[in-house]
Amino acid sequence: MNIKQFVLYQGAVGMAASMIFPFYILLLRDVGSSFSQFGWAYGLFALTSALSFPFIGKFADRIGDKQLLLVYSWGMAVLLILFPLAYEIWHVYCLQIAMGLFGAIQKNSEKTVLARAVSKERAGREIGNYHIWTSVAAAIAVIGTGYLVDFLTIGSIFYLASLVFAWSGFFIMKAGSTESIKAGNL
Amino acid sequence: MVARYSIAIGFIIIFSFSLHLFSSSFDEPTVGDQSRLMAVKMKAVKAGTTTEELKKIVLDANKKDDVIAIAGMQHSQGGHTLYPKGILLDMKPYNKILSLDRQGKKITVQSGTSWAAIQEYINPSGLALQISQSQSIFTVGGSLSVNAHGLSIRNHSLIDTVDSFRLLTAKGEVLTVSREENQEMFPLAIGGYGLFGVILDVTLNLTDNELYEMSSHTLQYEDYPAYFKETVLSDKNYKMHLARLSISPDTFLKEMYVINYALAPHQSKLVDFLPLKREPIVAIPKFFLGMSRINDFGKRTFWETQKNYAKKVQGKLISRNNAMRSDSVFMEYTNPDKTEVLQEYFVPIDEFEHYLDDLRSVLEDDETFNLLNITVRYVEKNEEPLLAYATKDMFSLVLLINQGKDQNSIEQTRKTVQNMIDVTLAHNGSYYLPYYGYATKEQMKAAYPRSEEFFKLKNIYDPDHRFQNLFFEEYGDEH
Repeated sequence: MNIKQFVLYQGAVGMAASMIFPFYILLLRDVGSSFSQFGWAYGLFALTSALSFPFIGKFADRIGDKQLLLVYSWGMAVLLILFPLAYEIWHVYCLQIAMGLFGAIQKNSEKTVLARAVSKERAGREIGNYHIWTSVAAAIAVIGTGYLVDFLTIGSIFYLASLVFAWSGFFIMKAGSTESIKAGNL
Repeated sequence: MVARYSIAIGFIIIFSFSLHLFSSSFDEPTVGDQSRLMAVKMKAVKAGTTTEELKKIVLDANKKDDVIAIAGMQHSQGGHTLYPKGILLDMKPYNKILSLDRQGKKITVQSGTSWAAIQEYINPSGLALQISQSQSIFTVGGSLSVNAHGLSIRNHSLIDTVDSFRLLTAKGEVLTVSREENQEMFPLAIGGYGLFGVILDVTLNLTDNELYEMSSHTLQYEDYPAYFKETVLSDKNYKMHLARLSISPDTFLKEMYVINYALAPHQSKLVDFLPLKREPIVAIPKFFLGMSRINDFGKRTFWETQKNYAKKVQGKLISRNNAMRSDSVFMEYTNPDKTEVLQEYFVPIDEFEHYLDDLRSVLEDDETFNLLNITVRYVEKNEEPLLAYATKDMFSLVLLINQGKDQNSIEQTRKTVQNMIDVTLAHNGSYYLPYYGYATKEQMKAAYPRSEEFFKLKNIYDPDHRFQNLFFEEYGDEH
């Protein structure tokens, strides 16, 4: 895998995640009925992330970043198609716990891939360049989805995002190891 | 390669399964009213923006033998907008303002229009509503169906302000209804709880926007009827009035404060007060109301805060339109296990003092009953609608009650409410029908002597019960 492929992958999953993240509060509003439940839903997300980071970190060094990204892509693809089916608050809590785990995998893997790919001297510029493109993708996704929600239901956004994650799963399966990435080539 | 194919196939299977489940969940939408005490599986939610579309919904329902429950904002809490397997006719999109006659002071609107939208439309013309409920979020059709009343002490209830309306009947016909034309439907559809047809467009009589000066006093409940009659009602300058009864344990149902709106001496200042106000910041009242839900300390604090607030309005100037746009957001309550319901009782003015003594003795022994607020308003005698609640000049008491949503809590509240209704009936009073159906059938009959006639006429005009709701099923279906 080269850096351009990695940016494409990160851009795509970032896009899919941004599609749902600001908007799935709309779904929560249908399911949850109080602000304390929102608090719990987000709190469980953060708490699971916190608890899973130590393990994810160890795995990243043992089995490699690519495998973890694979788990992330497919995990999210399946998880997102479960969201529209949630109708009880405990469903949302369970989904949030899984989201917390996958979120942590993505957060850690993005950083470990970059950490292994940048040269120490030019790390600032190289990471900066990398972020330009992933952020552009996220911005496009959020704005675009705002319009999409007007046409589609909030449920269909989840299916759409799931398809993007599935595509990213295939992409990462086909791509080579992340070890060969050189961030300076962007 | 094999792995990739099996993953793809696995994903497609889960994806389609989920999509199938998700789309079938729309087939029977679950709908609840604002009390969140009943959620009902309806067959479908339908809406129309033209008379033709609404007519088609009714004709289709006739063909398929579906029943229709008509809904506006769904703040009626007694299942008036719900029926299992019925079609929920959502009137909110039917909300155009059709015409305004500035000289004749009349406006014609589609029934899904909110009172707030009418106020925004007529405010620049110097006109105001004759009657509105305490809050302006409701639809015109919904308010008419419950024949609501408000703060105004110079008009009776909403039925007074209606000039005419068009009614879509169970057969799919459109009738023009006024006091001259199809007049038999007038007192049935208004205050008819959606049982006599779909109220389409309504022509309402308006009045001039005026500038009011507010005043407030604190007094004891036994002095209130005389104060109201001698100071407020007999002075034509007073236009609107409301009072609150203490729910604080120290002064429970004894201490009161009143807020009056009297015609301001300098009407020329009205121009400065014309802009319609936005919803003010609600964090502070919301906080104190929240405290009063918890314990007696909270209730004391809430009452003291309310009294202080009342003192501050002294001398304030406000336009009629703004006085009729009350805050509602701070009352929104989101606890998942509990909810807040309303009850409203009407008692003749002269019975007020003894009524409160009896009500107090019912409630003082009841430790589980969580009463948060009582607003008192005046309703002039009006027997025009068949289900008339003001058979004399009366005070109305609106009670805000915090209760659990589990069956046990519902039963506890039912017992207390039935006791309160008994006390109300013993003082020649009645209760308001739009709230949760805690009353027994006998209590309903006693409070509404003409209810039997009302339900009989329902069966004559709509023998197939095309318009159906849980309220009718509970109280009327034996006819």
